[in-house]
Parts: sequence; structure tokens; C-alpha cells
Amino acid sequence: MDFLVSSFAAALHLIGSFSPDVVDAARTSLAVSAGATVFAALFGVPVGLAVGLSGSRWKGFAVTALNTLMAVPTVVVGLFVYGFLSRQGPLGALGLLFTPTAIVIGGTLLASPIVANYTLASVRGADPRILPTALTLGAGRFRAVVTLVGEIRFGVFAAVIAGFGRVVAEVGVAMMLGGNIRGYTRTMTTAIALETSKGEFSFGMALGIVLMTVALIVNLFLSLLQRR
Amino acid sequence: MTELYRLRSVTKKYGTNVAVDIGALTIDSGRLYTLAGSNGAGKSTLLGILAFLTPPTTGEILYAGERIDWKSDIVRGLRRKVTLLHQSPYLFGGTVFRNVAYGLSARGIAGEDALRAVDRALETVGLEGFRERDARELSGGEAQRVAMARALAPAPEVLLLDEPLANIDRETAGLLEAVIASLPSRGTTVVMTTHDPDPPARHSGGSIVLDHGKVAPPRDSLPA
Repeated sequence: MDFLVSSFAAALHLIGSFSPDVVDAARTSLAVSAGATVFAALFGVPVGLAVGLSGSRWKGFAVTALNTLMAVPTVVVGLFVYGFLSRQGPLGALGLLFTPTAIVIGGTLLASPIVANYTLASVRGADPRILPTALTLGAGRFRAVVTLVGEIRFGVFAAVIAGFGRVVAEVGVAMMLGGNIRGYTRTMTTAIALETSKGEFSFGMALGIVLMTVALIVNLFLSLLQRR
Repeated sequence: MTELYRLRSVTKKYGTNVAVDIGALTIDSGRLYTLAGSNGAGKSTLLGILAFLTPPTTGEILYAGERIDWKSDIVRGLRRKVTLLHQSPYLFGGTVFRNVAYGLSARGIAGEDALRAVDRALETVGLEGFRERDARELSGGEAQRVAMARALAPAPEVLLLDEPLANIDRETAGLLEAVIASLPSRGTTVVMTTHDPDPPARHSGGSIVLDHGKVAPPRDSLPA
């Protein structure tokens, strides 16, 4: 028990003293997660809307595919993107492997199905009168859909935030595609894994506390949006 | 009076269920029609077709003499001439102004022109001073009146009303009825659904009765 208490105290000291390694890992985590979330939103929100509003007979298949993609393990996403970005891969010449960009690419693939699924759920839960009302008032199809998005905006925000939560907390993609390079691609999760295996438990705990705080803030925000 | 709508052999099917099956129907401009029939008679489906929101399964519709091609952009233009007001209308989040100005904005009308049109529409339904009110905090009767103002603001050629006087208080019903009755004199064609097969004489423009999706013959043509 003393071990845990002393580690916790040391962790708080590391956070309070703004340890450069803690700050670096936190900054990298937040930056790549934010980048991946932006791209996931740009891709996932339109996909969720398109599937949700589609009257196609393939809609059921698309929903199943999105649900399946949501459950794909992070290391499988990491493996898939690694295959493309490694030197022998089709995009190897770009030299993106073990860079923050690679983590952003992997994070985007990871978060997009989540954003799409949450957006789809929002569309399904939207008042069915919104689109006919917009159309009968003279809006074109695009404007009517924009109006719909405006009406379900809290659900769409929640989708984007859920995507961020997924990326910031994952370790597989960041480890495989970032390479855990100190001060460059080392994120909070990869740093926790590494430092704990080295016996630096208090350092891992410090990052764990920061990560949990970020997750708490994200989830509080999510709950707030879902209540509206 | 000129002919506005002409429907020929129009059907609308949902699976095997035939919602409407209309051999022939004409609607003239500048008149107020009541569309009567029991629940499930096809009134709302017919309004959806007349509003160019629901394409028929078969048949032909002419609007102002022009045959409607449902796959063309013309339909979008026609939707700007016809507004459908649902029985329980949806108000968008935000202010009353945002709601009433929506149709104007969709037609490129903004600024002072929109402001004037919104104020005029709100005045018509007796809601002066409601412009900046939150639409979601209105009473049922006020919401119904805002929806009517929103439908009137862009001055549509045709106003389709799905039981506009149901579920509202008597005062609001009286006010909306007076507004509706005044529309034909301004050149607006009105089609208003009702459960009443014998609509009051004040709705004397014309009466369409639907029975199981088909247009029933006028009552005075039935044998005694």
C-alpha cells in the first residue's frame, strides 16, 4: 500500500512541477488526437448522415459494416496502416512511419466509424418532421440536410467527442505507427506502457492521472451534450 | 379562376397498401378547398403529393398546365410555390424570427425585406412582438400560429393545411380560421383537410371527399 501511496505522491509532484517528459507526452497525445478527430469528423459525420438518410436497400449492410469497424482492435488498425506506411508498403516512399502524421492517420481510421455511428444514431433519433418541414418551406436537399444537422448538433458534437475519447485513450496505433519516440511521437498511453515496464511506476501514474483527467473532462462534456 | 392542379390516374402505394387512387381531380387557383375523409382515407398522402414532397407511384400531375417530372429540378422550384403545414408542425430551434424567415432565406430574401415580411406574417397571426422569442418556449397555440406565419411569410401560391384547427384552443382556432378564409382573396389557393364530411358554408370554395383513397362523388350528385 505504501508503494501506491508514495507513487501517487510522486506522480502528483511530477504533474505539479510540469515535468518536461509528462508535458511532452500530454502535448503529443492531445495534438495527434485533435488532428485525428478533425479528420474523423470530416469523414465520419457525412458518412453517418448519408447512411442515416439513405433509403437504399444496402443501408442495413452499411450499418453492420460501421458497427463492425467500431469493434476493430486498435492493433489491427495499426497493423493495417503499418502495412501501407512501412518501407516496403505502397506509401513507404512518403516516409510517414514513426511520425505524428502516421498516428493521426491511424487515429482517423479508428475514430471515423465511431463518429459515423454516433451521427447515424442522432439522425435516427431526429424528429422525422425536420426534413419535410425544411423541404416544404423551399429548401433544397442540401440546405434541408444542413438544417437537420443544426437541429441534431448536440448529437453530432457528442459523436466527435466520442471519437476524440477513443483516439486519446488508445495505445496500439500510437505504439505501432508512432514508435514511441521520446519528445516526438511518445503519447501518454505509450509512455505509460514503456515507463511502467521500466519500473518508473510513478511516472506512469502521473501520465495516467493526466489521461484520466482528460477522459473525465471529455465524458463530462459528452454527458452535458447528451442531456441537451 | 384558372386550373392549377390536374391529377390523372394518380396512385400512391406503400407496399401492397394503396393509400390514394385518384382517377381525376382538378384544383383551381384562388379557391379554398376542404379535403374531407375519415382517418386513413388518404388525405395526408394526397397533401404530400400536392406539396411535391411525395412522388406518386403512378399517374400524371399537371401544375399550371405543366406536366411534373418528379426527377427533375423543377420539383424543387415548385416546392417554393407550395407550402404544407402539418397538423403538429415542427419548429426549428432558435427564435421565432429564425423560423418565420426560414422560407424567405431559402428564396434568397434577407435583410430588411425579410424583417418586414416576418413582421407582416407575425402580425397576420396576432403575434406582434414575438420575433425574438425562443420558439421552443411557446405554448401550443402560439407555436401553431408561428408555423402558420412561417408558411405565409414567403407568400406561397398554394397553402396546404393538414387539420390546422385540430388540437388548439378555440381563440387560436377562430383566429387561424379567419386568416385561412382571407387567403383566397389574396390569390392563394388553400387545401385544408378536415374530418368533417359536411364542412361549414364559410369554406364554400370547394370540397373534396376521400373515401379509402378514392375521390367520392359530390354529395349533391348522389341519388336520394
